[in-house]
This record gives sequence, structure tokens and C-alpha cells, in this order.
Amino acid sequence: MTHIFLKDMAYRRTRVVMTTIGIVVLITLILLLGGIMNGMRIQVQQYIRSTEANLWISAEGSGGAFTGFSLLVPEYLVFINHTKGVKRNSVSPLIFAHARPVINGKATKSIIVGYKQGKLGGPTQTIPNQGRMFTPSQYDDYRPEDQPPAEVVIDEKMRTPSGRKIPIGGKIYIGGKELNVVGRTKSLMFVLDTPLLFMDLRTAQEVLLKNSLHVNMMIAKTEPDYSAEALVEELDRNGMIEARTLDQTLTSIIENYVDEPMKAVQFLRVMLWLAAGIIVTMITYVTTLEKTREIGTLKAIGASDYYIVMLILKQVILMSSAGVTLGVFLAFLAANLAPIFVKIDLLETSVVAIISFVVCCSGGYLASRKVLDVDPMIAFRGEL
Amino acid sequence: MIVQAKGLTKRFGEGLAQIVAVDDVSLTIETGELVIVMGDSGCGKTTLVSLLGCILTPDNGQLTLDGQVIDYAGQDLSQVRRQKIGFVFQLFNLIPYLSALENVIIAMQIGGFSRFEAEKRAKDLLTQVGLARRLDHRPAQLSGGEKQRVSFARALSNNPKIIFADEPTANLDSRQSDNLMNLVRQLRQEQQTTIVIVTHYQALQKDADRVIYMQDGKILTD
Repeated sequence: MTHIFLKDMAYRRTRVVMTTIGIVVLITLILLLGGIMNGMRIQVQQYIRSTEANLWISAEGSGGAFTGFSLLVPEYLVFINHTKGVKRNSVSPLIFAHARPVINGKATKSIIVGYKQGKLGGPTQTIPNQGRMFTPSQYDDYRPEDQPPAEVVIDEKMRTPSGRKIPIGGKIYIGGKELNVVGRTKSLMFVLDTPLLFMDLRTAQEVLLKNSLHVNMMIAKTEPDYSAEALVEELDRNGMIEARTLDQTLTSIIENYVDEPMKAVQFLRVMLWLAAGIIVTMITYVTTLEKTREIGTLKAIGASDYYIVMLILKQVILMSSAGVTLGVFLAFLAANLAPIFVKIDLLETSVVAIISFVVCCSGGYLASRKVLDVDPMIAFRGEL
Repeated sequence: MIVQAKGLTKRFGEGLAQIVAVDDVSLTIETGELVIVMGDSGCGKTTLVSLLGCILTPDNGQLTLDGQVIDYAGQDLSQVRRQKIGFVFQLFNLIPYLSALENVIIAMQIGGFSRFEAEKRAKDLLTQVGLARRLDHRPAQLSGGEKQRVSFARALSNNPKIIFADEPTANLDSRQSDNLMNLVRQLRQEQQTTIVIVTHYQALQKDADRVIYMQDGKILTD
């Protein structure tokens, strides 16, 4: 004979399927939310790591290169370049800012990276036969009458509002200034798939800072024998700038862009776990109530409480296992189809699956304890 | 003697709303007897059967079943029920998603039979009650009389010392009731089982060894 709990599940298949779907959806959401956060963590680090700089310098009190408002005067370039331990001529002034370039009349999201060509901070890879890099300006000997090049190099994933690729020779507008798209890069994305848009530092200063010669940050490499931590301490002593190592910068940017804003999402994930547990608890409880006569009969013919609780628990375990497994599968599928970068971590998946399974089974077990209250007298018609 | 009850009392409710459903009832039932319990609705028949069948715990009194004094505080009553007692219910109480055969097998598996033994014996019992061709039918596909036959087969499945049947004919028409009583007679002859039947069905009296009339929780005549 097929196990009674399987026959019961087949008999109440609509409820079983609906409960399982509920668990699947919740597990998928839990994993996807975690995957989105992982994706943000990866993307937020990609550009910073790709620069290969291990010194990140911003204005004193800004809280870090990417965290607060930082404007540095260009004179610091010489000071930092001449600091012992900083790799000679490695210092690169950088503008890194969120912007809303207008393409075909509609604003879109991007990160502007203004840098000096040949210095740290440029794209990791340009696409062959997809245009060229922008024309570099004369930054060091800047004269007010010099017009910065109105050229940008865009990421291949940057699209028009209608979803089309922006052609080489296309126009985009930032701060009211028309800029020509001269090349396309296969670069790295910033948080939530925000494409990086590269331009000359002077162009960035013109469109974002109204021609002011300030920069957001300066990045540099250390000499091989020097410790970045020691150099950071030394640069900090200047009192006008704030220096950080690569690790410190990564920590602060992850905290600023992912961990802090995503606290609500973490809370939501816990709520979803709770919801999964409540769904299983409620459905099991209602099903147990609905089956009181059946349970009473089983008790009357000699079934122990343990036997009946196990009948219900086996169903809960099977539904939870199926729900969690399908949820994991669906989450991986959805991660591949998601419009943003989602990275579902295998270890995290295992932990989520185990916690979800335990939460669902615990809920089911609590509800199945209702069996203990069922009086076998219910098997009779209730006449006194 | 299979059952000996001394001073069994069962009350429900509290204060002014309290009802004494079974009031200081003492009785004995001998092995192989067919005992009919009759009385008006609410007189305590079902409560008495539930007390004798170890489903309810009495407020007062002592029950001896198959020579064993029931220890309500320390004994697993479900074990007593599966080893010594069979039940037949008014509304059949078959598990709706199991076939006739499976409904009998499940009781035997609860009783500790192996799957193979249970299946073999369940088929024999269902054949004995005239349902050899209905083994794979679910309760919804059986008539009331057939369901009650499955219920009897289930009650017999663990070789109980005594079967308690609560209004087994209440949901059957007269033809089905007669057929069921023929089955009871047949089972008595073949299995020598002690049977206690709670019923309003007068025709049963002629087959009974004893007829107990109850009123207001007490035995009026025995």
C-alpha cells in the first residue's frame, strides 16, 4: 500500500500544490533579494578594484572617496606625487559622480568617470571596431580659453530610452552640454547595473562643476616596498585630505551603497522567512482542524499521537522539501533572466534552504501538535 | 468474562450545566456475548460504550478488560484500543482517500501487522464480509451497507477481544440493516467475537444474548 500520507496529499492536492507554490515563491524571493545584494556588492567593488589603485584620497571630512561630498584642489596632485612611498607619477585626479545624461530627450542613469587618459581610473577594455577613446585635453597647462573635448566613451550596455544601442556619433546631453559618443567600452557596471560613462577630466569638470578645476578624489599606487596603511597615516597628517587604503575604501563603499540601504531588504528577507513559516503553520493547522473526525477515528482504532503527528509531519517535510528545492531552482532561473545583475551564492543558497526548511517544518510541527487536542470521541456522533 | 465495569461514572460540564452522562454503572460482559444497548437519545449509551472502549476516562469507577484493570493514569489507552478493541461507527468513518482494502490495512498496520500480513488478512476479511469485488473501491464508491461492512472488517482486523458498534444501522435502510445483522450473526458464529451494539433497531433484539436498557445514565434493565 502506498503510504497513507501520500494518498492524503493526493486527495488534498490543490491545497498541497498551493502551499508548495507559496513556499516556492517565498524562497525564490528570499534568494533573489540576497542575490541582488550580492550583485550590488560585486558591482560596487568592480570599478574600484579595476583601477589597481591602492591609495584613495578625498577631501578631509568627506568620509571617503565615494561616501560623502569631496572636492579637492589640483594642487594636492603635486603634494601627493612627491610623498615618499607613492609611486612616482601614479597619482590620477578623478571625478566620479552619478549623472542623468539625456538621450533622445529622456534622462537615463549613469556614472560619469572623468579622468586623465593614460592615468589610473580608465575603462578596463575598449571594444575593437567600436570607435575610439576621447581626445585628451591639456589638463596640466590649462588655459580658460581651452575648450575641453565634447566627447564621451560609453559602456556597451548603455541604451537609449527605447532600449536601442547608442550609435557611435550619437549625441547625449549632460548639464545642457552636447557630447559626441566616440567609442564604446566593455567596462564594468556600478551598483544596480549603472553603466560607466568615461570622459576627459576637463570635460567632466565643465559639465558637472561649471569649469571648476576641482576633482572628487585622487587615486594612486604605492611603491612596492611601502605599506599603504603607513602612507595613509602619513597623508592624513596633512590635515586637509583624507586618505584610505583599497580595503578601507571597499569597506566604506559597500557599507554606504549596499549594507546601509539594504537593511530594509534584510528585514524583508526575515519577514519572508516568517511568512513561509506562517503559511505552512496555517495550512497545516487548518488541514488538521478539517481532519479532526479522521484523526479521531485513527485515534479510536488505536493510532498513537506520535503516529498521527508523523503522518502530518511527513506531508510538511515533503511540501517543504519540494517548495525549497523548486524555490532554489526558480531563483537561479530568475537570476539569469533578471534585468539587473543578480549573483546567488551557493553557500548562501544552502544556508537559506536549510533555514527555510527548518522554519517550514517547525511551523508544520507546531500546527500538527493540534492533533494532541483531538478527542477520539469525535469519531462517535457526539451523543452523550 | 471480557468486561467488568464497577461504578463507572462520567460527567460533562460544570456547575449547573453539569450532566451526568453515565451514573454509577456496573456491568459484566462474558466472552462471545452479543449485547445490545438500547435507550432514548441522550440516555448515555454512546458514553457508556466509549468508557468501556477506553476512549473516555471515567470520573469514578473501575474497568477491567480481558482480565486487566485499566490504569487510566499510567497506561497508554491507544495501545489497549489497538490490541483488544474494535470499533464500528454510525457514520462508518472510513478514510475517504483510501480504498476499502487500504482502510482495513491501515488499522492493521497501526496494530503492528506487517504490510504483507495486513494485506492478506484484509483481503480475507473483506471477502468474508462479502466485498471481495469491492477491494479497490473508495468509500465514495460504496453504498452505506458496503461501507458498514468495510467498517466491520476494519474492526475485526486486529483480532479484538470485543467490538463496540455504535448505531451501526442508523444510516442504513431496512434491507441494508437486515444484511448487516446477517453479517453480525455470521461473524459471531465464525469468529466467536464479543460484540456490543448500541442501537435503536428493534429487530436486533432477537439475536442478542442480553439487552441493556439505559435511562438518564443508568442501566434500567439488563
